[in-house]
Formats: sequence, C-alpha cells, structure tokens
Amino acid sequence: MVYSSILDWVNFPDIMANPYYPFETYNLPYDISQKLWEIIGGTIAWLINLLFPGNPVSEWLVCDMTVNFFALIIFMIVVFLVVFIGILISLWEERKVLGRTMDRRGTMVGMKGFLQCVADGFKTFMKEDTQPRKVDRMTYMWTVSLVIGTSMLIACMIPLSDRWYVVNYNTGLLLIMGLFALAPFFILVSGWSQNNKYSLIGGMRAAEMMISYEIPMLILIATACLMAGTFNIGGIVQAQYDTMPYFIPQCIGFVTFFVCANAEAERTPFDLAEAESELVEGWQTEYAGMKWGLIMLADYMRGYVSCAMITILYLGGWNLPFIGDLNNYVPELVFLLKTWLVFFAMIIVRAALPRVRTDQILNLGWKVFMPLSIINLVIVLLLKMGGVF
Amino acid sequence: MSLIASYLPLVFVGIISLGFAPAAWLVSRFIRPYKPTKWMEETYECGSVPIGDARVQFRLQYYAYALIFVVFDLVVTFLLIWSVAYGGLSPMATVWMFLFLGILILGVAYSLKKEETIWI
Repeated sequence: MVYSSILDWVNFPDIMANPYYPFETYNLPYDISQKLWEIIGGTIAWLINLLFPGNPVSEWLVCDMTVNFFALIIFMIVVFLVVFIGILISLWEERKVLGRTMDRRGTMVGMKGFLQCVADGFKTFMKEDTQPRKVDRMTYMWTVSLVIGTSMLIACMIPLSDRWYVVNYNTGLLLIMGLFALAPFFILVSGWSQNNKYSLIGGMRAAEMMISYEIPMLILIATACLMAGTFNIGGIVQAQYDTMPYFIPQCIGFVTFFVCANAEAERTPFDLAEAESELVEGWQTEYAGMKWGLIMLADYMRGYVSCAMITILYLGGWNLPFIGDLNNYVPELVFLLKTWLVFFAMIIVRAALPRVRTDQILNLGWKVFMPLSIINLVIVLLLKMGGVF
Repeated sequence: MSLIASYLPLVFVGIISLGFAPAAWLVSRFIRPYKPTKWMEETYECGSVPIGDARVQFRLQYYAYALIFVVFDLVVTFLLIWSVAYGGLSPMATVWMFLFLGILILGVAYSLKKEETIWI
C-alpha cells in the first residue's frame, strides 16, 4: 500500500468496524477519543513515513489494535475530565448558592467565582503535608486513597446518556450502589488508624450512619427496579420515558430517597462523621494538605453521584418529556443540568437544616424511612398488579 | 466481542480514577515545603498535649441496630433479586416474598420496641 498524502493516514474509519471495539452499542466518548488518536497518531505516522518511507512503525501506529489501545487511554482521560469539570461546577454552585442563602455573594475570583475552586486546588497542592508520628501509616494512606478512588470511579461510571457510558451491563445499578456503599468501611478503618480521638468517633459515626440509611435506600432501589423490571440504568431511564418519571407514582419514595441520598453523600444535615467544628472535621482531622483537598473533592463526587442516582431513578434520566426526538441532540447536557438541579435542592437543605444527632439518625432511618419505603413498595406493587405499569 | 474485552474500558477508567489521588500526592511532594517540627508530628487535640492513646475499647452504643442491619441487609438482597425477576414469577412468589418480609419487619418492630429504653 502506498501512502502519499496525510489523508491516507488520517481517515476516520467507522468505530464499530474495529474488531477490538469494546462496546456493544455506539459510544460517543470512545468515538471522540478514536478520532483524536487518528489525528495525533496519524500525523506522527505520516511524519515518520516522510522521513523513512515504508517503515513498520507508521503501520503499527494506525493498525486496529494500537488505535484501540490509545483510543482507550484518551477515552479514560475524556471521561475523567468531563466528570471532574462537572464536579467542579457543582462545587462552584454550592459556594454561590450557599453564599446567597447567607446573604452574601459567595466566591468572586474570576469567571463568576469558578476559578476560586482551581485556586483552592493549587493552594492545597502546595501545602505542607503533616503526618503525626502515631498514625498507622499503611491504613492511613490506603483507606483515604480508596475513599477518593472509589468515589471517583463511581462518578465516572454514571452514564450521562445512552451513548456516553463506561459500562453498560445489566447489573450496572448494583455495581454502582455496591461501590457507593464502600466508603463508610474505609472511613471506619481510617478513623481507627489515625490514633486520634476525634477521628475514632468520626469513624464510628460513619458506620452508624450507614446502618441507618442503607436499608431504606436499598428497598427504594428495589422498588424502582421492580417498576422498570431491570437493573440496567439505560433500561430504567427508557422505562420512565415510556410511561412517566417515577417521582409521580413514587412521590413518597422520591422524598425518602432524596434524604437517604443526602445521608449517603454525608452532606450537612447528616454529616455526623465530619461534623465540622463539633469533631474538628471528624475522621479527616489528621489529613493535611493535598490529602485533605482530595477528601473534600471526594465529598462533592459523592454528592454528584447521589444527585445522579436521584435523576436516574426518579426524574427520567437524560430524557425530557413531550419533546420526542429532540432528546437525541444533547442528552448528556440534559442529564447534567438535572443533576445540578437536584444538587441545588441539596444545597438549600444544607443551608436550612441543622445537623441531626446520632440517636436521631438511627431513629429516623429505622422508624421513619424504613416504614415509608415499605409503604412505597406496597403502593408500587399494587400499581404493578393493577396493570398500570 | 468477548466478555473480558467489554471490561477493558472499566479497567482503564479504574486506573485513572484510583490512581489520580496517589499521583497527585506524589507530584505535590516535589513542590510543597517540608519543615517538620515537634508540634506537627503530635496528634492533634485542640492545642493540648494528647492524653493517652486513641486505640481504646470503644462502646458501640448502636450495637442492637447493627445486628438488625446485618439481618435486613440479607433480606434486601432477596428483595432486589425478587424485584428484578418479578415479571417472570407467579403471584404466589409475591405472597411468599411479602410473608418473608412481613415476618422480619415484625421482628424489627419488636426489637426496636424492646430497645427503646437503651440510650443511644
């Protein structure tokens, strides 16, 4: 084969034709990544081929397997960056809205205050890292890495639309919820490892929180899956598009899930494990510098995932009702906007409500949310038996 | 497309999401100052010298709730499986599921009533 022009190298083949294509259906971020690699790799291959005509390296750079590999690397960066920017925007939203509820303006540095988040990131990046002598170094580092890592992983695994996803399994929802529920265990171990009384209490409280909200939340997820008949996130969203968003028949479940999701993300009415000045940041007391900065970011990741779960399970995901095929244009943006709308409600709740006590959260979880979620389940079952869904 | 190949994107995303925090700490090591003092290596206790060790025997005040939680977590696992398979099950399966759930809810209600006097 003779290559003369650059267009022989950069020709954007159909992504589904690649035998190593790792998805079942069309995937937009992979498509973007493969086209980017076509441009980068194709240009490099063309340049090398100009110098050394007919060399094997140029051929290798544009063969199916190499394209797939580098496309996956760019794919992970694209997915990560989109989620990261989404989380930064929710952080900015929280600062602005919380500021307004307190009758002040919130952050003001650059781009309506958005650059404050970036500046804070750089500041924590350059902070000195202090580590007390008495900590158990192994668990101290591992647990915090895993809290941040799993939070980021589930934030990346949330599909933004039926073409923007990382995995599309029939167990997708279970996978995400399983990873989502892991953090309290790491927090418990981390609180012990720091050898600090505040951290110990914080870790214990994280475990206590989990045993109070986890059951109602799982029952509510089972209810939503009962209605949709699948654990596949795309399937749940499609089922809502075919009938109606689930917050209408499951209004009790929607409110309960909202509060439980608030607790799962450890946001203010339920931030017992952290409890700002009450416990000196609770389980985060001994983490300094960049570690603390990333823990803060992980909090917002969990907030983002909670809001995304509410959007998927109750608000119809990436579809809007009554607009038909217009949904095919920017479902990703619709999904993110809905997520930020739910996050807005969470901020209002944070601004309005005081922190609950430890015994109150247990009583709330077992004596209020549990019966409510069971009632919701029974209502859905009656609707299902009556043939409404 | 094999099953292993379908997990490849998850592996790649897992690498970046689990790896970015350690990578950030590693990179910031070259930028941040490092001047440890005696006070910085001390465990933080609001300015006073910490008394004793924090690895003490700790009273789990919510022990009863934790026990109920362990039981109910299993129930919810059954509930999840039942909910997703509902379409293919006979009406009798629903009756059994709710009998099972009802017995456990009665148990929880009884234990909560009994534990009410315990201070949390």
